[in-house]
Amino acid sequence: MLYVELATQLRRVRSLILLGVLVVLPVLAGVTEASKAGGRGGAMTYSALNFAEGGLNFMVPLLFGLVVAVFGAILGGADREWGTLRYRYVQPVSRRRLVTGKWWALLTCTALAMAVFLAVALLTGITIFGWHPYHVSGSSDLPAASASWAILGAAGYVTVCLLSIGSIALVLGLLLPRSVEALGITVAFLIGSAVLDNVPAAHDVIVLLPVHYWLRWTQLFGSHASQLIPGLAAQAAAIAVALAAGYLLLARRDPAA
Amino acid sequence: MEQPTAPKPPGAAISARELSKRYGRRQAVSGLTFTVESGQICALLGPNGAGKTSTMRMLAGLSRPDSGSARLLGEPSRLAAGVLARVGVAIDGPAFVPHLSGRRNLELSWRAGGRTWPPPALEEGLQLAGLGEALGAKKVKSYSMGMRQRLMLAQALMGGPEALILDEPANGLDPGEVRALREHLRRLAGRGAAVLISSHVLAEIELLATHVVVMNAGAVVTAGRLEDLLGTGAYEFEVDDVAHASRALRAVAGVRSVTAHGQRLSVLAPGYPVRELNQVLVSAGVGVGAVRAARSLEEAFLGLVEQDDAVR
Repeated sequence: MLYVELATQLRRVRSLILLGVLVVLPVLAGVTEASKAGGRGGAMTYSALNFAEGGLNFMVPLLFGLVVAVFGAILGGADREWGTLRYRYVQPVSRRRLVTGKWWALLTCTALAMAVFLAVALLTGITIFGWHPYHVSGSSDLPAASASWAILGAAGYVTVCLLSIGSIALVLGLLLPRSVEALGITVAFLIGSAVLDNVPAAHDVIVLLPVHYWLRWTQLFGSHASQLIPGLAAQAAAIAVALAAGYLLLARRDPAA
Repeated sequence: MEQPTAPKPPGAAISARELSKRYGRRQAVSGLTFTVESGQICALLGPNGAGKTSTMRMLAGLSRPDSGSARLLGEPSRLAAGVLARVGVAIDGPAFVPHLSGRRNLELSWRAGGRTWPPPALEEGLQLAGLGEALGAKKVKSYSMGMRQRLMLAQALMGGPEALILDEPANGLDPGEVRALREHLRRLAGRGAAVLISSHVLAEIELLATHVVVMNAGAVVTAGRLEDLLGTGAYEFEVDDVAHASRALRAVAGVRSVTAHGQRLSVLAPGYPVRELNQVLVSAGVGVGAVRAARSLEEAFLGLVEQDDAVR
């Protein structure tokens, strides 16, 4: 089912546009930064690693969240919108294979989006700023090798975080008649969570939301990487709940109703 | 070319037993029981709202019956049951991924079932679909209704199914395509496949079906061989010598009446096999141009439904 879902979704214009945006954004940002810094080599303390890290900071949580929410919503809602769900069942494809196939496709799309963005950001950074140690304001620079591992770790952590919102969008896509409705609710949830995260009075609620933990990836550039563990646990819980809900939803619903 | 199915001994390939289904306050199907055996082409007939599609959905596992059971090839039918891999289904019209070509849709549909491409009867299915270059070159969203219908039939047939459930398969097909479909289904039935087909085109069903199930208001009105449904014992013979033919037929013990209308003879012989009457005429040296049951399937169907409506 993974192959079927990927072959179906990655040929869609909206998927290609999303990936295109992830290519264009770092290039645009790089050109803008370069002009501020006085052109290539103008800022020796600013390296490709700083640029890539800055790109992640810019994209998380909202922009990357939006991209993955689109993937999740269209993966979840496609069969319903096209009416192909009944033909999937008679092939036969079980509910479990259907949900897990879509989820693995979501994982692949999310990882692909992250890889495309990071690769373009690093290449753009290398082209414009060069490959130097990671500059830390007010402290000693981080060696390029250590910073590279930190960037990779951050990309992995953010990918897991994004999967939680993608899984929610996927289940809403299965539930609702149209993908766009699933996307709208997911984005509202994402923005609401991000806003709520800045309200100290709502702390008891915030800690239950997966988005609360997303920015902890920055700890990978410091000495508090262990704080990522509760974040990973929160994402895993959100994904598990979403997948279970998706399966139960399909199990309870009469496909012909 | 690989043959999709080898001849099989007769047996109940598709069976419904006391099937019932209610949607809200509407009883869609009520206590429905019938079987389709291997080699049979069974037409599921009924007016709109009779419960034909609901019945087919339950048989394909796409809808849970409130009570009763559905079986395919001897196994219980339920959502995504393994036995469906041996069954071709076309129900509720065609549905495809619009931005992919027809061939790509067929491939992904087949692979979704965890099988390796290509399926055993792909060429036969594609031949019936007759989509030519459009199959691989054009996206499905640019296909006409008829092209999508033919692609749906290719999808149902490409696996060389042992049983077929086809809901209004001739919708949007031109006369030549309908004929090709009829011949294809006959070939499949000849190899032992069981075919359950619903259609409102009764003239087409009369040419194709071996058996019929007539439904009205969710229940079976009658079920059995098509011949038996049409065969009230009244036949029409087109002959070259009316006087000679009349004498020959009146001499037969089981014949109650013979009436001439020009070159046609209306014969009433309840319980007497039509082929034996034909043999009597041929033996008497009468040239027989055509033989048909005196009432068409349309007349029989409408009569049964009206009678059933009157009783309800």
